[in-house]
Amino acid sequence: MLLVMAICIQINTIEAATISVGTTLRDNSDLKDELLSCQGKYESLYKELENKEKQLEEVRLSAATKSEEDTQNEIEIKRNQVLLGLTEVTGQGIIIRLDENREVNSEEVLDINGYLVHEEDLLYIVNELFNSGADAISINDQRIVSTTSIVCDGNIIRINGKMVGVPITIKAIGYPERMDPALSRPGGYLQLMANQGVVVTVERSENITIPKFEGVYSYEYITRGDE
Amino acid sequence: MKKGKITITITIGLTFLILTAVIFIQFKTINQTDITSLENMREDELRTEISNFKQKSEEISKQIEETNLKIAEYEETISTDKEASELLEKELEQQNNLLGKNDVKGSGVIITLTDTKEQKITAQDLRELLNQLKLAGAEAISINGQRIVYDSYLVDIGDTYISVNGEGIVSPYEVKAIGNPTYLESGLSKKQYGYIDTKLEEGKDVVLTRQDNITINKYNGDLNMEYAT
Repeated sequence: MLLVMAICIQINTIEAATISVGTTLRDNSDLKDELLSCQGKYESLYKELENKEKQLEEVRLSAATKSEEDTQNEIEIKRNQVLLGLTEVTGQGIIIRLDENREVNSEEVLDINGYLVHEEDLLYIVNELFNSGADAISINDQRIVSTTSIVCDGNIIRINGKMVGVPITIKAIGYPERMDPALSRPGGYLQLMANQGVVVTVERSENITIPKFEGVYSYEYITRGDE
Repeated sequence: MKKGKITITITIGLTFLILTAVIFIQFKTINQTDITSLENMREDELRTEISNFKQKSEEISKQIEETNLKIAEYEETISTDKEASELLEKELEQQNNLLGKNDVKGSGVIITLTDTKEQKITAQDLRELLNQLKLAGAEAISINGQRIVYDSYLVDIGDTYISVNGEGIVSPYEVKAIGNPTYLESGLSKKQYGYIDTKLEEGKDVVLTRQDNITINKYNGDLNMEYAT
């Protein structure tokens, strides 16, 4: 009798839960529509900006023909854009993949924390990659630039303000023979993560493409100081 | 009597089996859920995401205006057959300020972190601080005079010093950041979970001051990419 009751209660609870989940989803549909329209607006503005930047590049080039100095400055502006991460770049390097272990038997795990990828892990890996000479890095296609922050926001990670989830793909252009051992060496950070239960793979590649930074640099507060 | 016990045992056993299976299925489902997809977002996450996109759209709109202005200025030099030197130099200067090729000045905050007998400041403390400053909108940062650039890194060298861009620095660590002082200060000073409270809780010596006129030196290394084209 008791057991039957228990099962009934269980089923009832599940039904109740399903209903409440259903309701929340329905209630949020307005917000979802709003989000989609905001996202659409952002994307079309971004395309417009890309077009304007192309246009600027063209007029700048045709305006910078009057003196040798102008021509040099125009070339320097283009070089700086590469350093600022405002262009897509390619080259040799390594690709690190991090995934949460989906085969973990939750009953055997007291502390699930070790199986997850945290902001500290990503900050550490980025630091280690630059320490071993990386030229350019992206995490799930978010380019790492001088103003990039990697932060936890509830149970998701935000990079350049964009949401990033597992599986995580870190691409780094640089010298593979230097970057790979720096991270994969025995006792190194990736091995520690793997020991904790994160699924880690590292692959060297001759041809990696890293997308450009899609954000905007702000320079409202800095002015040149050495004048 | 005995038969009854067996039945109960079997029933309990079966119930547990079913419940375990349900829990397991539940976990599987959670595992397979993509938390970044729209379908799985909670109300507060949706609201944050909406305001994020609105803010980004504003930034992009501003950038479009500035780009339009630059285009118009260049076009004018072309149509009047004048040199574009000033415009080029202005663009170059903005880029060099951001990249760390120029000394820069402006308002912001200075954070001083000092080793104590009990608690030493580590490279990780500084990395976390840089991350929080960037999140709060810092436009230029230096640590003990070392400019932080796009490929800067910080590592502990033994117990004695920290290496920034390959240069050794020691406590006290003076981190200068130029940006909106209010955002920078409030970003670090969030109660309990903010950077400063977290570090104070760990027993570390961290002090923040706002300052109107901060000068940050240029990077003294070379900025170039060897492998990326």
